[in-house]
Amino acid sequence: MLDTVVAAETPEGIVLELHPAGLTVRFYAFLLDWLIRLVTMYAVALVAGFMGGVGTAFWLILLFALEWFYPIAFELGRSGATPGKQALGIKVVMDNGLPVTPAASFARNLLRVADFLPFGYGVAVVCMLLRKDCKRLGDLAAATLVVHEPHPAVRVTLEKVEPVAPIRALTPRDQAALVALAARAPTLTADRLNELASMAAAVSGDQGHCGSAVTHRVLGVAQWLLGRRS
Amino acid sequence: MVVGAPLVTPLHFEELYQAEWTELESLLDPLLGRKKRPSGAPPIQGERVAVLYRRACEHLALARARSYPAYILTPLERLTADAHQVIYQRREFGLAKLKYFFSVDFPGTVRANAGYVWLSAALFYIPALVIGWLMYVRPELILSVVDASTAASFERMYAEAAKAVGREAQSDVLMFGFYIRHNIGIAFQCFAGGLFAGIGSLFYLIYNGALIGAVAGYLTERGHGPTFWAFVATHSAFELTAIVLSGAAGLKIGYSLVAPGRLSRVQSLVAATRNCAPIVAGAAGMLLIAAALEAFWSSASWLPHLVKYGVAAGCWIGVLSYLTFQGRSAS
Repeated sequence: MLDTVVAAETPEGIVLELHPAGLTVRFYAFLLDWLIRLVTMYAVALVAGFMGGVGTAFWLILLFALEWFYPIAFELGRSGATPGKQALGIKVVMDNGLPVTPAASFARNLLRVADFLPFGYGVAVVCMLLRKDCKRLGDLAAATLVVHEPHPAVRVTLEKVEPVAPIRALTPRDQAALVALAARAPTLTADRLNELASMAAAVSGDQGHCGSAVTHRVLGVAQWLLGRRS
Repeated sequence: MVVGAPLVTPLHFEELYQAEWTELESLLDPLLGRKKRPSGAPPIQGERVAVLYRRACEHLALARARSYPAYILTPLERLTADAHQVIYQRREFGLAKLKYFFSVDFPGTVRANAGYVWLSAALFYIPALVIGWLMYVRPELILSVVDASTAASFERMYAEAAKAVGREAQSDVLMFGFYIRHNIGIAFQCFAGGLFAGIGSLFYLIYNGALIGAVAGYLTERGHGPTFWAFVATHSAFELTAIVLSGAAGLKIGYSLVAPGRLSRVQSLVAATRNCAPIVAGAAGMLLIAAALEAFWSSASWLPHLVKYGVAAGCWIGVLSYLTFQGRSAS
Protein backbone atom coordinates (compact mmCIF):
# COMPACT_ATOMS: atom_id res chain seq x y z
CA MET A 1 0.00 0.00 0.00
CA LEU A 2 1.27 3.43 -0.91
CA ASP A 3 -1.36 5.02 1.25
CA THR A 4 -0.22 6.32 4.62
CA VAL A 5 -3.58 6.39 6.36
CA VAL A 6 -3.47 5.94 10.12
CA ALA A 7 -6.60 4.36 11.56
CA ALA A 8 -7.84 5.50 14.96
CA GLU A 9 -10.73 3.61 16.48
CA THR A 10 -13.18 5.54 18.63
CA PRO A 11 -15.08 4.12 21.63
CA GLU A 12 -18.17 4.06 19.40
CA GLY A 13 -16.49 1.38 17.31
CA ILE A 14 -16.00 3.45 14.17
CA VAL A 15 -12.61 3.97 12.59
CA LEU A 16 -11.43 7.52 11.91
CA GLU A 17 -8.95 7.86 9.10
CA LEU A 18 -6.07 10.24 9.77
CA HIS A 19 -3.85 11.36 6.92
CA PRO A 20 -0.35 12.14 8.22
CA ALA A 21 1.30 15.18 6.63
CA GLY A 22 4.56 14.46 4.86
CA LEU A 23 7.97 16.03 5.07
CA THR A 24 7.44 18.56 2.26
CA VAL A 25 4.24 20.11 3.52
CA ARG A 26 5.60 20.24 7.06
CA PHE A 27 8.76 21.90 5.79
CA TYR A 28 6.75 24.60 4.02
CA ALA A 29 4.65 25.11 7.15
CA PHE A 30 7.79 25.46 9.23
CA LEU A 31 9.27 27.89 6.72
CA LEU A 32 6.14 30.03 6.86
CA ASP A 33 6.14 30.05 10.67
CA TRP A 34 9.82 30.89 10.67
CA LEU A 35 9.19 33.84 8.32
CA ILE A 36 6.32 35.08 10.47
CA ARG A 37 8.57 35.01 13.52
CA LEU A 38 11.40 36.67 11.63
CA VAL A 39 9.18 39.51 10.42
CA THR A 40 7.72 39.97 13.91
CA MET A 41 11.17 40.14 15.48
CA TYR A 42 12.36 42.56 12.81
CA ALA A 43 9.34 44.83 13.25
CA VAL A 44 9.77 44.82 17.03
CA ALA A 45 13.48 45.52 16.61
CA LEU A 46 12.68 48.64 14.58
CA VAL A 47 10.48 50.00 17.38
CA ALA A 48 12.68 48.72 20.23
CA GLY A 49 15.68 50.48 18.73
CA PHE A 50 14.26 53.80 19.91
CA MET A 51 13.70 52.60 23.43
CA GLY A 52 17.25 51.71 24.45
CA GLY A 53 17.89 49.09 27.13
CA VAL A 54 14.24 48.42 27.95
CA GLY A 55 13.48 47.95 24.25
CA THR A 56 16.31 45.47 23.81
CA ALA A 57 15.21 43.62 26.92
CA PHE A 58 11.66 43.40 25.61
CA TRP A 59 13.03 42.19 22.30
CA LEU A 60 15.07 39.45 23.98
CA ILE A 61 12.12 38.31 26.05
CA LEU A 62 9.95 38.22 22.95
CA LEU A 63 12.64 36.26 21.12
CA PHE A 64 12.64 33.72 23.92
CA ALA A 65 8.84 33.50 23.99
CA LEU A 66 8.57 33.09 20.22
CA GLU A 67 11.33 30.50 20.16
CA TRP A 68 9.73 28.18 22.72
CA PHE A 69 6.08 29.08 23.12
CA TYR A 70 4.91 30.19 19.66
CA PRO A 71 4.03 26.63 18.57
CA ILE A 72 2.64 25.64 21.97
CA ALA A 73 0.33 28.65 22.18
CA PHE A 74 -1.13 28.08 18.71
CA GLU A 75 -1.38 24.29 18.98
CA LEU A 76 -3.42 24.59 22.16
CA GLY A 77 -5.70 27.13 20.50
CA ARG A 78 -8.88 26.24 18.73
CA SER A 79 -7.32 25.33 15.39
CA GLY A 80 -4.61 23.07 16.82
CA ALA A 81 -2.13 24.52 14.34
CA THR A 82 0.39 27.34 14.01
CA PRO A 83 -0.44 29.92 11.31
CA GLY A 84 2.00 28.20 8.95
CA LYS A 85 0.33 24.84 9.44
CA GLN A 86 -3.11 26.41 9.12
CA ALA A 87 -2.16 27.98 5.81
CA LEU A 88 -1.17 24.57 4.47
CA GLY A 89 -4.20 22.80 5.89
CA ILE A 90 -2.43 20.62 8.42
CA LYS A 91 -2.76 20.42 12.20
CA VAL A 92 -1.47 18.62 15.28
CA VAL A 93 -3.63 15.94 16.91
CA MET A 94 -3.03 13.09 19.32
CA ASP A 95 -2.44 9.58 17.96
CA ASN A 96 -6.09 8.76 18.56
CA GLY A 97 -7.37 11.73 16.58
CA LEU A 98 -8.20 13.88 19.61
CA PRO A 99 -7.10 17.49 20.05
CA VAL A 100 -3.53 17.77 21.33
CA THR A 101 -3.22 17.99 25.13
CA PRO A 102 -1.12 20.69 26.84
CA ALA A 103 1.39 18.14 28.19
CA ALA A 104 1.84 16.61 24.73
CA SER A 105 2.22 19.98 23.01
CA PHE A 106 4.74 21.02 25.63
CA ALA A 107 6.75 17.82 25.21
CA ARG A 108 6.75 17.76 21.40
CA ASN A 109 7.92 21.36 21.17
CA LEU A 110 10.63 21.17 23.85
CA LEU A 111 12.01 18.04 22.20
CA ARG A 112 12.73 20.13 19.12
CA VAL A 113 16.16 20.56 20.70
CA ALA A 114 16.83 16.88 20.00
CA ASP A 115 15.17 16.94 16.57
CA PHE A 116 17.28 19.88 15.53
CA LEU A 117 20.58 17.98 15.90
CA PRO A 118 23.11 17.79 14.33
CA PHE A 119 21.95 20.88 12.42
CA GLY A 120 18.86 22.04 10.52
CA TYR A 121 16.48 19.43 11.96
CA GLY A 122 18.66 16.59 10.64
CA VAL A 123 17.38 14.00 13.09
CA ALA A 124 13.78 15.04 12.49
CA VAL A 125 14.13 14.72 8.71
CA VAL A 126 15.65 11.23 8.90
CA CYS A 127 13.07 10.12 11.42
CA MET A 128 10.17 11.45 9.33
CA LEU A 129 11.45 9.80 6.16
CA LEU A 130 11.85 6.45 7.89
CA ARG A 131 8.37 6.34 9.34
CA LYS A 132 5.11 5.71 7.55
CA ASP A 133 3.26 8.10 9.86
CA CYS A 134 5.92 10.76 9.35
CA LYS A 135 6.61 11.51 13.01
CA ARG A 136 9.67 13.31 14.27
CA LEU A 137 11.22 12.35 17.61
CA GLY A 138 9.11 14.90 19.46
CA ASP A 139 5.93 13.45 17.95
CA LEU A 140 7.01 9.94 18.88
CA ALA A 141 7.60 10.83 22.50
CA ALA A 142 4.48 12.97 22.87
CA ALA A 143 2.24 10.53 20.92
CA THR A 144 1.13 13.26 18.55
CA LEU A 145 0.57 13.26 14.82
CA VAL A 146 0.55 16.04 12.23
CA VAL A 147 -2.38 15.37 9.90
CA HIS A 148 -4.02 16.92 6.87
CA GLU A 149 -7.32 18.57 7.66
CA PRO A 150 -10.05 16.62 5.89
CA HIS A 151 -11.32 18.42 2.79
CA PRO A 152 -14.93 19.42 2.87
CA ALA A 153 -16.71 16.89 0.68
CA VAL A 154 -17.96 18.12 -2.67
CA ARG A 155 -21.52 17.12 -3.23
CA VAL A 156 -21.75 15.31 -6.57
CA THR A 157 -24.79 15.83 -8.68
CA LEU A 158 -25.34 12.91 -10.99
CA GLU A 159 -26.62 13.57 -14.43
CA LYS A 160 -30.23 12.73 -14.88
CA VAL A 161 -30.22 9.36 -16.55
CA GLU A 162 -33.17 7.01 -16.82
CA PRO A 163 -32.65 4.33 -14.12
CA VAL A 164 -32.09 0.80 -15.46
CA ALA A 165 -32.45 -2.31 -13.26
CA PRO A 166 -29.30 -4.51 -13.28
CA ILE A 167 -29.81 -7.87 -14.94
CA ARG A 168 -27.89 -9.79 -12.29
CA ALA A 169 -26.96 -9.70 -8.62
CA LEU A 170 -24.21 -7.22 -7.76
CA THR A 171 -21.91 -7.46 -4.78
CA PRO A 172 -21.58 -4.34 -2.60
CA ARG A 173 -18.13 -3.76 -4.09
CA ASP A 174 -19.49 -3.83 -7.64
CA GLN A 175 -22.27 -1.47 -6.66
CA ALA A 176 -19.80 0.92 -5.10
CA ALA A 177 -17.62 0.81 -8.22
CA LEU A 178 -20.56 1.62 -10.50
CA VAL A 179 -21.72 4.51 -8.34
CA ALA A 180 -18.16 5.83 -8.15
CA LEU A 181 -17.96 5.69 -11.94
CA ALA A 182 -21.21 7.64 -12.23
CA ALA A 183 -19.85 10.22 -9.79
CA ARG A 184 -16.71 10.63 -11.87
CA ALA A 185 -18.58 10.78 -15.17
CA PRO A 186 -18.71 14.60 -15.42
CA THR A 187 -14.91 14.84 -15.08
CA LEU A 188 -14.07 12.25 -17.78
CA THR A 189 -13.86 12.69 -21.53
CA ALA A 190 -16.58 10.93 -23.50
CA ASP A 191 -14.15 8.37 -24.97
CA ARG A 192 -12.64 7.46 -21.65
CA LEU A 193 -16.10 7.23 -20.06
CA ASN A 194 -17.23 4.85 -22.82
CA GLU A 195 -14.11 2.75 -22.34
CA LEU A 196 -14.62 2.46 -18.59
CA ALA A 197 -18.34 1.84 -18.93
CA SER A 198 -17.75 -0.95 -21.43
CA MET A 199 -15.80 -2.83 -18.75
CA ALA A 200 -18.90 -2.79 -16.59
CA ALA A 201 -21.30 -3.39 -19.47
CA ALA A 202 -22.23 -6.83 -18.14
CA VAL A 203 -24.53 -5.22 -15.58
CA SER A 204 -26.95 -4.07 -18.26
CA GLY A 205 -26.46 -7.11 -20.49
CA ASP A 206 -24.20 -5.37 -23.03
CA GLN A 207 -21.02 -7.45 -22.66
CA GLY A 208 -18.48 -6.74 -25.35
CA HIS A 209 -20.18 -3.61 -26.57
CA CYS A 210 -18.93 -0.11 -26.31
CA GLY A 211 -20.52 3.21 -27.13
CA SER A 212 -22.56 6.03 -25.74
CA ALA A 213 -25.74 3.95 -25.63
CA VAL A 214 -24.02 1.31 -23.50
CA THR A 215 -22.56 4.02 -21.28
CA HIS A 216 -26.02 5.50 -20.89
CA ARG A 217 -27.42 2.19 -19.72
CA VAL A 218 -24.50 1.55 -17.31
CA LEU A 219 -24.97 4.96 -15.77
CA GLY A 220 -28.68 4.15 -15.60
CA VAL A 221 -27.84 1.08 -13.48
CA ALA A 222 -25.82 3.31 -11.16
CA GLN A 223 -28.86 5.55 -10.80
CA TRP A 224 -31.00 2.55 -10.02
CA LEU A 225 -28.50 1.38 -7.39
CA LEU A 226 -28.65 4.78 -5.76
CA GLY A 227 -32.35 4.23 -5.33
CA ARG A 228 -33.91 6.07 -8.30
CA ARG A 229 -36.82 4.37 -9.92
CA SER A 230 -38.52 5.55 -13.05
CA MET B 1 -37.46 -7.36 -6.10
CA VAL B 2 -34.37 -7.76 -8.21
CA VAL B 3 -31.62 -9.76 -6.52
CA GLY B 4 -28.74 -7.65 -5.27
CA ALA B 5 -30.71 -4.51 -4.78
CA PRO B 6 -29.89 -3.00 -1.39
CA LEU B 7 -32.82 -2.97 1.00
CA VAL B 8 -32.21 0.66 1.82
CA THR B 9 -30.85 2.44 -1.23
CA PRO B 10 -28.37 5.28 -0.75
CA LEU B 11 -30.98 7.86 -1.70
CA HIS B 12 -33.47 6.45 0.78
CA PHE B 13 -30.77 6.29 3.47
CA GLU B 14 -29.95 9.93 2.92
CA GLU B 15 -33.60 10.93 2.99
CA LEU B 16 -34.08 9.10 6.30
CA TYR B 17 -31.17 10.62 8.22
CA GLN B 18 -30.17 13.86 6.49
CA ALA B 19 -32.16 15.91 9.01
CA GLU B 20 -30.14 14.47 11.93
CA TRP B 21 -26.84 15.13 10.20
CA THR B 22 -27.77 18.70 9.42
CA GLU B 23 -28.83 19.26 13.02
CA LEU B 24 -25.58 17.82 14.37
CA GLU B 25 -23.56 19.96 12.01
CA SER B 26 -25.41 23.11 12.99
CA LEU B 27 -24.71 22.29 16.66
CA LEU B 28 -21.03 21.61 15.99
CA ASP B 29 -20.28 24.69 13.90
CA PRO B 30 -20.27 27.18 16.79
CA LEU B 31 -18.49 24.69 19.07
CA LEU B 32 -15.66 24.35 16.58
CA GLY B 33 -15.52 28.09 16.07
CA ARG B 34 -16.54 27.90 12.42
CA LYS B 35 -19.56 30.09 12.94
CA LYS B 36 -20.47 32.57 15.62
CA ARG B 37 -23.49 31.64 17.67
CA PRO B 38 -26.21 34.26 17.44
CA SER B 39 -26.23 36.15 20.74
CA GLY B 40 -29.80 35.33 21.70
CA ALA B 41 -29.53 31.61 20.89
CA PRO B 42 -30.43 29.05 23.59
CA PRO B 43 -27.46 27.30 25.25
CA ILE B 44 -26.14 24.25 23.43
CA GLN B 45 -27.58 21.00 24.67
CA GLY B 46 -24.66 18.68 25.30
CA GLU B 47 -26.94 15.68 25.57
CA ARG B 48 -28.40 16.29 22.17
CA VAL B 49 -24.93 16.52 20.60
CA ALA B 50 -23.95 13.22 22.24
CA VAL B 51 -27.10 11.46 21.05
CA LEU B 52 -26.72 12.76 17.50
CA TYR B 53 -23.02 11.84 17.51
CA ARG B 54 -23.74 8.22 18.45
CA ARG B 55 -26.46 8.06 15.81
CA ALA B 56 -24.07 9.42 13.18
CA CYS B 57 -21.51 6.78 14.21
CA GLU B 58 -24.09 4.06 13.65
CA HIS B 59 -24.99 5.54 10.28
CA LEU B 60 -21.34 5.67 9.27
CA ALA B 61 -20.80 2.04 10.26
CA LEU B 62 -23.91 1.02 8.27
CA ALA B 63 -22.93 3.09 5.25
CA ARG B 64 -19.47 1.54 5.23
CA ALA B 65 -20.80 -1.98 5.58
CA ARG B 66 -23.20 -1.39 2.70
CA SER B 67 -20.52 0.27 0.52
CA TYR B 68 -22.55 3.39 0.01
CA PRO B 69 -21.06 5.88 -2.44
CA ALA B 70 -18.33 8.28 -1.40
CA TYR B 71 -20.56 11.34 -1.49
CA ILE B 72 -22.48 9.89 1.46
CA LEU B 73 -19.48 8.39 3.28
CA THR B 74 -17.12 11.37 3.12
CA PRO B 75 -19.39 13.96 4.77
CA LEU B 76 -20.38 11.39 7.40
CA GLU B 77 -16.72 10.67 8.13
CA ARG B 78 -16.01 14.35 8.50
CA LEU B 79 -19.06 14.91 10.64
CA THR B 80 -18.19 12.09 13.06
CA ALA B 81 -14.54 13.18 13.19
CA ASP B 82 -15.59 16.74 14.09
CA ALA B 83 -18.04 15.56 16.73
CA HIS B 84 -15.41 13.19 18.13
CA GLN B 85 -13.04 16.15 18.59
CA VAL B 86 -15.69 18.14 20.42
CA ILE B 87 -16.99 15.34 22.64
CA TYR B 88 -13.68 13.87 23.77
CA GLN B 89 -11.71 17.08 24.13
CA ARG B 90 -10.24 17.76 27.54
CA ARG B 91 -10.23 21.24 28.94
CA GLU B 92 -6.94 21.45 30.79
CA PHE B 93 -6.62 25.18 31.25
CA GLY B 94 -7.61 27.60 33.93
CA LEU B 95 -6.42 28.81 37.30
CA ALA B 96 -7.74 25.79 39.20
CA LYS B 97 -5.67 23.53 37.00
CA LEU B 98 -2.61 25.75 37.47
CA LYS B 99 -3.06 25.73 41.24
CA TYR B 100 -3.39 21.95 41.26
CA PHE B 101 -0.27 21.72 39.12
CA PHE B 102 1.94 23.66 41.51
CA SER B 103 0.38 22.39 44.72
CA VAL B 104 0.17 18.66 43.90
CA ASP B 105 1.18 17.60 40.41
CA PHE B 106 4.67 19.06 40.05
CA PRO B 107 6.19 18.26 43.49
CA GLY B 108 4.40 14.88 43.51
CA THR B 109 5.88 13.88 40.15
CA VAL B 110 9.34 14.97 41.30
CA ARG B 111 9.07 12.74 44.38
CA ALA B 112 7.72 9.84 42.34
CA ASN B 113 10.91 10.04 40.27
CA ALA B 114 13.26 10.62 43.20
CA GLY B 115 15.78 8.08 41.92
CA TYR B 116 16.31 9.99 38.67
CA VAL B 117 16.48 13.30 40.52
CA TRP B 118 19.24 12.03 42.84
CA LEU B 119 21.15 10.56 39.92
CA SER B 120 20.82 13.79 37.97
CA ALA B 121 21.93 15.82 41.01
CA ALA B 122 24.99 13.59 41.41
CA LEU B 123 25.88 13.91 37.71
CA PHE B 124 25.64 17.69 38.00
CA TYR B 125 27.13 18.48 41.40
CA ILE B 126 29.97 15.94 41.60
CA PRO B 127 31.76 17.29 38.47
CA ALA B 128 31.04 20.82 39.73
CA LEU B 129 32.71 20.09 43.09
CA VAL B 130 35.64 18.16 41.61
CA ILE B 131 36.42 20.71 38.89
CA GLY B 132 35.76 23.58 41.29
CA TRP B 133 38.29 22.15 43.75
CA LEU B 134 40.80 21.60 40.93
CA MET B 135 40.49 25.23 39.82
CA TYR B 136 40.88 26.40 43.39
CA VAL B 137 44.10 24.43 43.75
CA ARG B 138 45.51 25.13 40.30
CA PRO B 139 43.78 28.25 38.86
CA GLU B 140 45.94 28.26 35.71
CA LEU B 141 43.77 25.34 34.52
CA ILE B 142 40.97 27.84 33.77
CA LEU B 143 42.78 28.58 30.52
CA SER B 144 42.08 25.03 29.34
CA VAL B 145 38.33 25.75 29.80
CA VAL B 146 37.99 29.33 28.47
CA ASP B 147 40.41 31.70 26.79
CA ALA B 148 42.30 34.41 28.62
CA SER B 149 40.02 37.33 27.70
CA THR B 150 36.91 35.47 28.91
CA ALA B 151 38.65 34.65 32.18
CA ALA B 152 39.54 38.31 32.55
CA SER B 153 35.94 39.38 31.90
CA PHE B 154 34.76 36.96 34.61
CA GLU B 155 37.08 38.69 37.03
CA ARG B 156 35.89 42.17 36.00
CA MET B 157 32.26 41.16 36.50
CA TYR B 158 32.77 40.05 40.07
CA ALA B 159 35.27 42.72 41.10
CA GLU B 160 34.38 44.37 44.41
CA ALA B 161 34.06 47.78 42.76
CA ALA B 162 31.62 46.72 40.00
CA LYS B 163 28.44 48.78 39.97
CA ALA B 164 26.23 45.78 39.17
CA VAL B 165 27.56 42.32 39.84
CA GLY B 166 27.80 39.47 37.37
CA ARG B 167 27.83 41.41 34.11
CA GLU B 168 29.27 44.45 32.39
CA ALA B 169 27.04 47.47 32.99
CA GLN B 170 23.87 46.51 31.08
CA SER B 171 20.51 47.31 32.57
CA ASP B 172 18.60 44.87 34.76
CA VAL B 173 15.75 44.24 32.31
CA LEU B 174 18.17 43.67 29.49
CA MET B 175 19.90 40.97 31.48
CA PHE B 176 16.55 39.44 32.41
CA GLY B 177 15.88 38.97 28.72
CA PHE B 178 19.30 37.44 28.24
CA TYR B 179 19.09 35.13 31.26
CA ILE B 180 15.72 33.54 30.48
CA ARG B 181 16.78 32.68 26.96
CA HIS B 182 20.18 31.34 27.97
CA ASN B 183 19.23 29.44 31.13
CA ILE B 184 16.03 27.88 29.87
CA GLY B 185 17.95 26.79 26.78
CA ILE B 186 20.42 24.87 28.98
CA ALA B 187 17.65 23.20 30.99
CA PHE B 188 15.70 22.17 27.88
CA GLN B 189 18.87 20.72 26.36
CA CYS B 190 19.33 18.57 29.47
CA PHE B 191 15.79 17.26 28.96
CA ALA B 192 15.75 16.76 25.19
CA GLY B 193 19.18 15.10 25.23
CA GLY B 194 17.45 12.19 26.93
CA LEU B 195 15.98 11.14 23.58
CA PHE B 196 19.41 9.84 22.58
CA ALA B 197 19.27 6.98 25.06
CA GLY B 198 19.99 9.44 27.87
CA ILE B 199 23.50 10.18 26.62
CA GLY B 200 22.62 13.78 25.74
CA SER B 201 21.31 14.41 29.25
CA LEU B 202 24.43 12.82 30.77
CA PHE B 203 26.62 15.04 28.63
CA TYR B 204 24.82 18.32 29.26
CA LEU B 205 24.54 17.69 33.01
CA ILE B 206 28.23 16.85 33.45
CA TYR B 207 29.37 19.58 31.05
CA ASN B 208 27.35 22.36 32.67
CA GLY B 209 28.23 21.13 36.16
CA ALA B 210 31.92 21.16 35.30
CA LEU B 211 31.71 24.61 33.67
CA ILE B 212 29.91 26.20 36.60
CA GLY B 213 32.33 24.51 39.02
CA ALA B 214 35.30 25.80 37.04
CA VAL B 215 34.13 29.42 37.12
CA ALA B 216 33.23 29.24 40.81
CA GLY B 217 36.54 27.65 41.81
CA TYR B 218 38.59 30.07 39.75
CA LEU B 219 36.86 33.21 41.03
CA THR B 220 37.05 32.05 44.63
CA GLU B 221 40.79 31.45 44.31
CA ARG B 222 41.32 34.90 42.75
CA GLY B 223 39.75 36.51 45.79
CA HIS B 224 36.39 37.43 44.22
CA GLY B 225 34.65 34.83 46.37
CA PRO B 226 32.54 37.20 48.49
CA THR B 227 30.96 39.04 45.54
CA PHE B 228 30.57 35.90 43.46
CA TRP B 229 28.91 33.76 46.11
CA ALA B 230 26.64 36.58 47.22
CA PHE B 231 25.63 37.02 43.56
CA VAL B 232 24.83 33.40 42.75
CA ALA B 233 23.52 32.15 46.09
CA THR B 234 19.92 33.29 45.68
CA HIS B 235 18.95 32.51 42.11
CA SER B 236 20.94 29.28 42.03
CA ALA B 237 18.35 27.79 44.39
CA PHE B 238 15.91 27.90 41.48
CA GLU B 239 18.26 27.68 38.54
CA LEU B 240 20.48 24.76 39.53
CA THR B 241 17.52 22.82 40.93
CA ALA B 242 15.61 23.35 37.69
CA ILE B 243 18.57 22.12 35.62
CA VAL B 244 18.83 19.03 37.83
CA LEU B 245 15.09 18.40 37.44
CA SER B 246 15.16 18.75 33.63
CA GLY B 247 18.17 16.45 33.58
CA ALA B 248 16.24 13.93 35.69
CA ALA B 249 13.37 14.01 33.18
CA GLY B 250 15.88 13.50 30.35
CA LEU B 251 17.47 10.56 32.15
CA LYS B 252 14.02 9.03 32.64
CA ILE B 253 13.09 9.14 28.96
CA GLY B 254 16.57 7.90 28.12
CA TYR B 255 16.17 4.93 30.46
CA SER B 256 12.71 4.20 29.05
CA LEU B 257 14.36 3.70 25.65
CA VAL B 258 17.24 1.58 26.94
CA ALA B 259 15.11 -0.66 29.14
CA PRO B 260 11.49 -0.55 27.94
CA GLY B 261 10.49 -3.64 29.95
CA ARG B 262 7.38 -5.31 28.58
CA LEU B 263 6.36 -2.37 26.39
CA SER B 264 7.60 -1.58 22.92
CA ARG B 265 10.28 1.11 22.87
CA VAL B 266 7.89 3.70 21.46
CA GLN B 267 5.16 2.88 24.01
CA SER B 268 7.71 3.05 26.78
CA LEU B 269 8.96 6.44 25.53
CA VAL B 270 5.42 7.82 25.30
CA ALA B 271 4.62 6.66 28.83
CA ALA B 272 7.83 8.15 30.23
CA THR B 273 7.34 11.47 28.42
CA ARG B 274 3.76 11.77 29.63
CA ASN B 275 4.91 10.93 33.13
CA CYS B 276 7.71 13.48 33.34
CA ALA B 277 6.05 16.36 31.43
CA PRO B 278 5.02 18.05 34.75
CA ILE B 279 8.66 18.02 35.91
CA VAL B 280 9.84 19.88 32.81
CA ALA B 281 6.96 22.35 32.92
CA GLY B 282 7.64 23.01 36.60
CA ALA B 283 11.34 23.42 35.92
CA ALA B 284 10.53 26.00 33.22
CA GLY B 285 8.51 27.95 35.81
CA MET B 286 11.42 27.81 38.26
CA LEU B 287 13.80 29.08 35.57
CA LEU B 288 11.58 32.11 34.97
CA ILE B 289 11.80 32.92 38.69
CA ALA B 290 15.57 32.35 38.58
CA ALA B 291 16.02 34.73 35.64
CA ALA B 292 14.02 37.46 37.36
CA LEU B 293 16.01 37.05 40.59
CA GLU B 294 19.31 36.99 38.73
CA ALA B 295 18.55 40.20 36.86
CA PHE B 296 16.89 42.31 39.56
CA TRP B 297 18.00 40.97 42.94
CA SER B 298 21.33 39.13 42.69
CA SER B 299 23.03 41.91 40.74
CA ALA B 300 22.14 44.72 43.15
CA SER B 301 25.50 45.65 44.63
CA TRP B 302 24.03 48.11 47.16
CA LEU B 303 22.52 45.23 49.16
CA PRO B 304 24.72 44.06 52.06
CA HIS B 305 26.02 40.54 51.54
CA LEU B 306 24.47 39.40 54.77
CA VAL B 307 20.97 40.20 53.47
CA LYS B 308 21.67 38.33 50.24
CA TYR B 309 22.93 35.27 52.10
CA GLY B 310 19.91 35.36 54.40
CA VAL B 311 17.47 35.49 51.47
CA ALA B 312 19.49 32.83 49.64
CA ALA B 313 19.25 30.47 52.61
CA GLY B 314 15.52 31.10 52.68
CA CYS B 315 15.20 30.31 48.96
CA TRP B 316 17.21 27.08 49.17
CA ILE B 317 15.25 25.86 52.18
CA GLY B 318 12.01 26.95 50.50
CA VAL B 319 12.70 25.21 47.19
CA LEU B 320 13.92 21.97 48.73
CA SER B 321 11.12 21.71 51.27
CA TYR B 322 8.57 22.61 48.57
CA LEU B 323 9.79 19.68 46.48
CA THR B 324 9.95 17.39 49.53
CA PHE B 325 6.76 18.19 51.38
CA GLN B 326 4.28 20.10 49.18
CA GLY B 327 1.16 18.11 48.35
CA ARG B 328 2.14 14.99 50.27
CA SER B 329 -1.26 14.65 51.89
CA ALA B 330 -3.02 15.00 48.52
CA SER B 331 -0.95 12.36 46.75
